[in-house]
Amino acid sequence: MYRVRQNSSAGVLLCLALALLLQGCKANRREAAAIKIRWAHDPENLDPLQLANQTAVDANYLLNCSLLQADLVTHQFAPVLAEALPTVQFLGDSLMRLHYSLRPEATWDNGRPVLATDVAFTLKLMFCPGLPNETPSSEYRFIREILLDPNNPRRFSLVCTGQAVEYVQASGDFFVLPEASLDPGGEMRRFSLADLQHRPATALPNAVLQALAQRYAAAAPGQTPERLPGCGPYRLVKWEKDRYLRFRRKPHWWADRVRPRPVLLEARPARLQYVIIPDAATASLALQRGDLDVFPQMPTREFTRLRTSPAARATLNFYATASYDVTTVGFNTRHAVLADALTRQALSRCLDAAGVLKANELRQGQRTVGLISPSDRLNYNDSLTPVPFDPAGAVRLLRRAGWQRAARPEAGWRRQLPQGGTQELRLVVRYRADEQLFATIALQFQAAAASIGVPVALLPTESGAFSMALRNGDFDVYVRSLRGNPFIFNFTSLLHSQSVGAGNATGFSTPESDRLIEAIAAANTQQRRAVLLRRFQALMQQQAPIVPLFFLSSHIAASKQLTGLHPSSIKPGFTATAMDWAAGPTTPQ
Amino acid sequence: MARLLFWRLLRTALAVWALASGVFLLSRHDVNTALQLAQPEAADLRTGAGTPAARQAQEWATRRRLGLDVPLFYVGRHVPAHAVEGQWHWNGTNNQYHQWLRGVAHGQFGTSFRTGEAVTARLGRALLFTVPLTGSAALLAAVLALWLAQRLAARPAWLGPVRGALVGVHALPLFVIALVLLLLFANPAVLAWFPAYGLDQSTDADLDVGSQLADYLWHLALPVAALTLSALPGLTLQLEASLAHELGSGYATTARAKGLAGRAVIRHHALRNALLPSLAQLAELLPALVAGAVVVEVAFALPGMGRLLAEAAAARDYPVLMGGVLLTGAARLLSLLLTDMLYFWVDPRIRWQS
Repeated sequence: MYRVRQNSSAGVLLCLALALLLQGCKANRREAAAIKIRWAHDPENLDPLQLANQTAVDANYLLNCSLLQADLVTHQFAPVLAEALPTVQFLGDSLMRLHYSLRPEATWDNGRPVLATDVAFTLKLMFCPGLPNETPSSEYRFIREILLDPNNPRRFSLVCTGQAVEYVQASGDFFVLPEASLDPGGEMRRFSLADLQHRPATALPNAVLQALAQRYAAAAPGQTPERLPGCGPYRLVKWEKDRYLRFRRKPHWWADRVRPRPVLLEARPARLQYVIIPDAATASLALQRGDLDVFPQMPTREFTRLRTSPAARATLNFYATASYDVTTVGFNTRHAVLADALTRQALSRCLDAAGVLKANELRQGQRTVGLISPSDRLNYNDSLTPVPFDPAGAVRLLRRAGWQRAARPEAGWRRQLPQGGTQELRLVVRYRADEQLFATIALQFQAAAASIGVPVALLPTESGAFSMALRNGDFDVYVRSLRGNPFIFNFTSLLHSQSVGAGNATGFSTPESDRLIEAIAAANTQQRRAVLLRRFQALMQQQAPIVPLFFLSSHIAASKQLTGLHPSSIKPGFTATAMDWAAGPTTPQ
Repeated sequence: MARLLFWRLLRTALAVWALASGVFLLSRHDVNTALQLAQPEAADLRTGAGTPAARQAQEWATRRRLGLDVPLFYVGRHVPAHAVEGQWHWNGTNNQYHQWLRGVAHGQFGTSFRTGEAVTARLGRALLFTVPLTGSAALLAAVLALWLAQRLAARPAWLGPVRGALVGVHALPLFVIALVLLLLFANPAVLAWFPAYGLDQSTDADLDVGSQLADYLWHLALPVAALTLSALPGLTLQLEASLAHELGSGYATTARAKGLAGRAVIRHHALRNALLPSLAQLAELLPALVAGAVVVEVAFALPGMGRLLAEAAAARDYPVLMGGVLLTGAARLLSLLLTDMLYFWVDPRIRWQS
């Protein structure tokens, strides 16, 4: 009896295993033409006013359109809803008027044209109280008024405070939302943009603004974007939190009528599916199995391993581009031992950027002299040389800074202060604990500093605590990455005196650097800005509050059946809407 | 018994309230980090950096949106401008704790700082994925442990190797088990029997219920196996040791002397007594049922409570975190209560003694 029971359970197990195996074989067939792209995390919130991460931005580019958008191929801003780049008119020495005209083909899904009133409404939303618009209200405050053309509902002008080159691009880099959906009565038209911008926080509640805030909250575009449909090429068909987002192309998108059609207005894939796979090893397996089609931001080691694997090379294409993410080491200049440039220069010579690139990134990345990417030929200061790894030079510089090596090697370096007392050179390095690259840099710095007698303690820190430690100045040295792009060169949040205690973690500022940062932010020609940026890089290398080490490479692996990926240095690193299946999309089975 | 149960439940409810209140008040001390993380990332270059006054206004607007602009508790210490010493004063019921507590009493845990979504909906959705995963793993582990421990207690020839293997697996962290399973059974270079991620093939194609169920089970196979493998050795080794101890007792010898077979002695005499420590172990699995298994959820890209709570903690999304604390805290305390009840049922001597 017992044997019979044992045999029957073994049979059940065998059947189950066979069923699962058959299921596995069946699932390996491609069932739909959706292009599957890996995201490491869920966008969480798709509110166009509250874009908290890159995945939310990418998703919004599928659902909505902006006036201008960065072209990943040309690295220039190009018109999307706008007919052309705006024409610029300087008013005096501090104002600028940007004249826009919207494409006549641009319509909402219901066929209603996208008009200047929609743009005006969107700008007013950014300053309407009660909405989650803290970030855009700060970023677009330079637009002080929008003037509608009474003779042409598609033409308007933006009056900007300042004449900076980057304002021209930034003025069109926001998603235009439909006025008719949120303010069908056009009640917001009675408010000017300036009214809303200068409305005090203590002002009495206004019924129109409150009603608008309630309608916006009810639409909840962050969670249910379909309730506030944009004029982008795709609809969000399904969003399973922490699992996937499915987008389907609109059958009749307004840009289909645009001829000739630029890459930015292409929408080739009928279906796009972003799958959330947090672990890179799992995502790599899925890619090799054919369960995933595009793996952007692939870790360097996995990318190199797969690129040398014959099996992977047979099914995958590999793309490597230089990114605009620069890895930096910063010194807390508010601490007395790091307040002088000579000490910071000395310590920066203990950083072996080339060695770290070789060890951690397999030599993939670009050394740099400053915060500008070496790929940016116009602005990169190629007359400078990267800070060398030179512990002997560091010792000489420390001595010049007044430091003296104590008699006992373990006692480190000390210096006498003019007002009496002594300083001791001991450092604490903070970095985010979840980043292997930062840990490698910190360990290398610790070893090199120890070789010249400077004691360094490492403090790997949880991400949120790291942000607060930087803000509160609770560190001597930090290691982190800065995310840049080829369009914005405003270093106010990083290195200006007015950002000390906020984004300026190093606490560094001098009147000269403040003036230079302000001049760069206000430069009204690219040539003038390039001259200033080169001076800025030289000043930063001399002062060394931040030591830029290298720009990392960005890696993408994608199915060989995909074409039109357009790999780029600009995030997300490829053009999802221009991709297509080489042999045409397969039909669902 | 009913009266005892009532008092124990009341004590449990009070303990959960005290735990959640403590965590709520402590979490609000870190609210500046939550506000900082809600601001644009300082590592991004932006067009409008803003003056300190503009930043302050932006922070205040965020604070108001998140409901952090009212006092924390019924009483607070207010430091007037140009004063050094603060003064205690009564804030009334318009405070964060009162609003949160009133919400909890109505079954509402507030809205997520990050997404603006209702926490109840977020937790409910995560539980829907977590409970089948952790529940089936716990059930499988318990059944397998019960079966395997009885076999091992009979001292078969394969006792040594199996026990060694169990000790070996017990020493492995869960992420190693998950990765090994992935690399062995979801890897086209070895065996691609199971999918590498997710819960279904996530296609638009319509599948019948049977296919959907098979697809779901096929996707759950490796994660459930990883969780089962990690829980199995602890349960089995404990029960096997306990059984071995009981089999050395006088009543077991008597039973054998009466001519009972070894298996019958284990099943009908020793097992019930040997189960007591294992009940505590099984009850330990209950909080994990709702708290999820973050390692497995990350490795197999599954949505669930583990990932939700880990990400909420990293992002300082305190409303979600509080909901999770309440849920897991309640599960933990209820599991302790359940253990006590099971003890009373398995061994009536404990009930008489208490």
